[in-house]
Amino acid sequence: MPNTRIKEPFQYRRIPLETLQNHQKKRAEDTWGTVKRLTKYLLQYKWMLVLIISMVILSSAMALLGPYLIGMAIDDFIVSKETAGLLQLIGWLIIIYILHSVSIFLQNFWMVGVAQKTVFTLRKELFEQFHQLPISFFDSRQQGELMSRVTNDIDNINNTLNDSVIQIFTSIITLIGTVGVMLYLSPLLTLITMVIIPLLFIGMRWITKRTGPLYKLQQDDLGELNGYVEEIVSGQLLVKTYSQEEKVIQEFKEKNDQLQLSFFWAQNIAGFIPKVMNSLNFLSFMLIALFGGLLAIKGVITVGVIVIFTEYARQFTRPLNELSNQFNILLSAVAGGERVFNILDEEQEEVDETNATVLTHTNGQLSFRHVSFAYGDKPVLFDLSFHAEPGEMVAFVGHTGAGKTTIVNLISRFYEYNQGHILLDGHELNQITRSSLRSHIAFVLQDTFLFKGTVRENIRYGKLSASDEEVIQASERANAHEFIERLPHGYDTMLDQDGSSISQGQKQLLTIARAMISEPSILILDEATSNIDTITEFHIQEGLQRLMEGRTSFVIAHRLNTIQRADKIIMLQNGRILEKGNHQTLMRKQGAYFELYRGLEKEET
Amino acid sequence: MRYILSNLKPYRLQVLLAYIFTFTEIAAELLFPFFLSIMINQGIIPEDTSLLYFWGSVMLGTTILAFFSGIMNSYFAAHISTALGHDIRENLFTKIQEFSFDMLTLYPVSMIVTRFTNDIRVVQNTILMGLRIMVKAPVMVIGSVFMSFIINWKLSLIFLVTVPILILFLGWVLKIGSRLFTQVQERVDTVNRVIQENIGGMRIIKAFVRRDFEADRFDQSNRDLATKSQTAFRFVEASMPVLLLFMNASLLFIIWVGNKQAIAGTTTVGDVVAIVNYALRAVMMISMFTFISLAVSRAKASGERISMIMHEKTIPVAQTSNNANHIQQGSLHFDSVDFSFPNSSLPILQNIQFQLHPEETIAIMGATGAGKTTLFQLIPRLYSPDAGTIYIDDTPIQQFDVKALRDGIGYVSQNPLLFTGSIADNIRFGKEKASLDEVIIAAKTAQIHDSILAFPDQYDSIVGQKGVNLSGGQKQRISIARALVRHPKLLMFDDSTSALDVQTESKLLDALKEYNASTLIITQKISTAQRADRILLLDKGKIEGVGTHEELLRISALYRQIVSSQSQEEVGHA
Repeated sequence: MPNTRIKEPFQYRRIPLETLQNHQKKRAEDTWGTVKRLTKYLLQYKWMLVLIISMVILSSAMALLGPYLIGMAIDDFIVSKETAGLLQLIGWLIIIYILHSVSIFLQNFWMVGVAQKTVFTLRKELFEQFHQLPISFFDSRQQGELMSRVTNDIDNINNTLNDSVIQIFTSIITLIGTVGVMLYLSPLLTLITMVIIPLLFIGMRWITKRTGPLYKLQQDDLGELNGYVEEIVSGQLLVKTYSQEEKVIQEFKEKNDQLQLSFFWAQNIAGFIPKVMNSLNFLSFMLIALFGGLLAIKGVITVGVIVIFTEYARQFTRPLNELSNQFNILLSAVAGGERVFNILDEEQEEVDETNATVLTHTNGQLSFRHVSFAYGDKPVLFDLSFHAEPGEMVAFVGHTGAGKTTIVNLISRFYEYNQGHILLDGHELNQITRSSLRSHIAFVLQDTFLFKGTVRENIRYGKLSASDEEVIQASERANAHEFIERLPHGYDTMLDQDGSSISQGQKQLLTIARAMISEPSILILDEATSNIDTITEFHIQEGLQRLMEGRTSFVIAHRLNTIQRADKIIMLQNGRILEKGNHQTLMRKQGAYFELYRGLEKEET
Repeated sequence: MRYILSNLKPYRLQVLLAYIFTFTEIAAELLFPFFLSIMINQGIIPEDTSLLYFWGSVMLGTTILAFFSGIMNSYFAAHISTALGHDIRENLFTKIQEFSFDMLTLYPVSMIVTRFTNDIRVVQNTILMGLRIMVKAPVMVIGSVFMSFIINWKLSLIFLVTVPILILFLGWVLKIGSRLFTQVQERVDTVNRVIQENIGGMRIIKAFVRRDFEADRFDQSNRDLATKSQTAFRFVEASMPVLLLFMNASLLFIIWVGNKQAIAGTTTVGDVVAIVNYALRAVMMISMFTFISLAVSRAKASGERISMIMHEKTIPVAQTSNNANHIQQGSLHFDSVDFSFPNSSLPILQNIQFQLHPEETIAIMGATGAGKTTLFQLIPRLYSPDAGTIYIDDTPIQQFDVKALRDGIGYVSQNPLLFTGSIADNIRFGKEKASLDEVIIAAKTAQIHDSILAFPDQYDSIVGQKGVNLSGGQKQRISIARALVRHPKLLMFDDSTSALDVQTESKLLDALKEYNASTLIITQKISTAQRADRILLLDKGKIEGVGTHEELLRISALYRQIVSSQSQEEVGHA
């Protein structure tokens, strides 16, 4: 029973090593590659790092020198009960201690700066990458899972950079320093102390073989759980009206239990590292005491050397301990880094052709010539050809799934056409830069995206340089002005992220106003008017008609009036053009359109 | 923080065990120098090798004991912290499910997700450290001070000065640090929100070529976060060198006084060496304190943010009791219902009065913002009216068990939201135990069956987070099927057929008749409304009129206007 809550210890289901290794194989992990890449980010601050490392060297040296001088003080002023020179020595110690603290302060101060800059850059790159990814990337992924990379994974990297980098350098330098002194004092005893090294190696190998994949498993489980939370919380209306609270809690519990299992094993095994280190530490202490004692009896070394050795052995294993402590933080940071890099490595929206034209002006003459398109291996459009003269209105009709939305996606280049040609003013569409193309197109799409900000800011999104007057003008034309005025703070009313404070229809009005203000040459309407009440819609139609004048427009609509008004009607079925022409010619044909129209007419009267 | 600790209660015995194992380890560490002194005094100096072997094996035994304790400590610490994290996650999720609908508006999705991704993680890690290394530092410091006092109390007096100062200082660092980290977390929330908006609205952002604008917006919040984090981390990290300086200064005192005492003959070399040794250990452990205070202050901030949610007043998820009333006929009666949103004086609905008879269909029309959706949301008790009563089957809806009430309703929302999973799973969201046949029947009625069959995996096809690989009309029909599979007595469509073409919508409305449910349909289309038994016209939160098409034509100017606007278009372009 994997799905029971584990309250008592010793009930964790074992995760076999093979499963872990398979999991690791499934998503080839490149620890070193990730570490190298993270290092590259740090290396941008080379000089800062040089300063930090010199401070680390200074602080480590002071940390070794302090106890050494204290030892001298004991020999000179306590064993021999002298006072002359004591003040001088204390003076030196004060200098050493101050240098020690100052160098630690500076290395931390600078490292925090470097870490924050690095994390800042990572977040920025991730954000920019999001904007360069094709729409299909977002269509196939969960928001929560993506969010988890930005929050958890970057946070892990942040923590590692703040602490681990300095710790690792300090440990390495201290290790070299102590081993050097030990070798100088007694090579034989040093050798005996080193017996723990192979034991350490074996132990660490056993542990890391498991922790690496376990951390990955844990991060994956966490990502899945977070994705679930995000989805369910966004869909609370549904959960509540269908009273499915218990069901979603149950599903959540399953994922949570799954996560607890991977969490437990990852934390448990990673926790062995310092314990193994500690025990090896004890072991080396014992070896020094026993063999040092035997050597002392034989007169090879003095008792003093034993005392110094135990002190330094501790100094020498401590950095190993620190290193291993940092190791599991490091592992999770590397796992996080890898997931971040995975996104950064995602294939970007194909870059514009090198000699792509920047479209400064367009008449809006657009033709499809034998265009075919497939989402992956699922063909959606077959050999489409049609033509729109500047200022014409083209309506796409057909059943849901006929390919209307896809055509619009191709015109706006959210997806790239595979075959045939799309020509705008005679230019091949994919030879025009995406941004210049889209700056001439205005969209009123099905998803009314509003961001947290005022109504004014949301409308101005269509034209960032628009004056307040222009915003009001556009709203008036879209018939949004009246309702905006009635909002608590008018144009300065704050909207939530998902615009939940206003109704769906009001959202539509705002998105229409937003499209109006952008003064496009080409207009794309995707079922946008379907949620607006008839009276408002009537006014919008007027506004849209005004807007459409002199502009080429592509409309997906189900209303008779919209369809009739179109200069060209393109009737689609299963991705193929069934009929095209204007209303009169198609009616005369008495074909599929005629049938559809009769049906519509019956509906609407 | 108190909330977090209260969650630890069930594990107190295990916490105790974890600490016992840690203390065993620490005791071993404090004993080793003592063993060494015995070996020196009684083994090496009298040249007694057998005694060396004896104490050597005692040390080996202690090492094995310490190793065992360490492993056990690791096990218990991992168990307690993961179990605690697990419990908090579960409680938090359950709590959020208990939130009333309007409470959710106070907590944006991004904020709730951060609670799960970030805060619980921080708490869990801190507890883990708390059970492993965190106790070691204070215990070692206290142990060292204690041993020093036993050996020579005069030399150790300096600790009485330094240790309290250190404790006060750490307390201050903790206080300021936790405030700074709360501020950092607020910035984290902002950054996350912007990213979430961008991921969600990518299509529009691309459409308007607003990459630079968004980048600026993000840059600001990102920079803000980086600056705040830098301040917070620097503050806490700066405390360590200060601590070190303090402890090192006490070493100087020991040497100075040790020298005086040695000359006066009141102390031995061994005493001084031992105390210096213990002081050095203490110094080493003090360096852990920054790390600990950093972790604790972060955890405190996170803990408070979690408990803020946990302390919201909610009612537990409704359990259906056996004697709970179920909706039998599906008649509905609004009696003088007024409503305005919590914390708002703007009336949304005023004096709403109408009746829906069993198996009757009423179409609700009205301008955007007239209050149609709000009226719908009162029925499954997502909100409660300010005045007036809503009756179902002549029983006030407050007297229904919430779950029983909602179970009898098939609510199709304006936004057809689908969850990640197969199409069948999404339809089964309406009725968990529905057989595949039931699912197919619902899908057929919703006019989506044929489309589903055309998908490669048919009913097992996976749909994305918001059903992204489906068209708007397909999503609407799946969400209608989800409502139908429940066989509700009361069906509610919130403009849920807007993306359907007219033929499909017509077939759907015909098929619905077989369900014998009372039906409310919000629609914009006169043609759809005319198919209903009666039409209810809302205007600015008030009922403009209820009646058949003809009746409304007679009594309502607004209705005539709507009708003429829709037919005018047709006349004008026919």
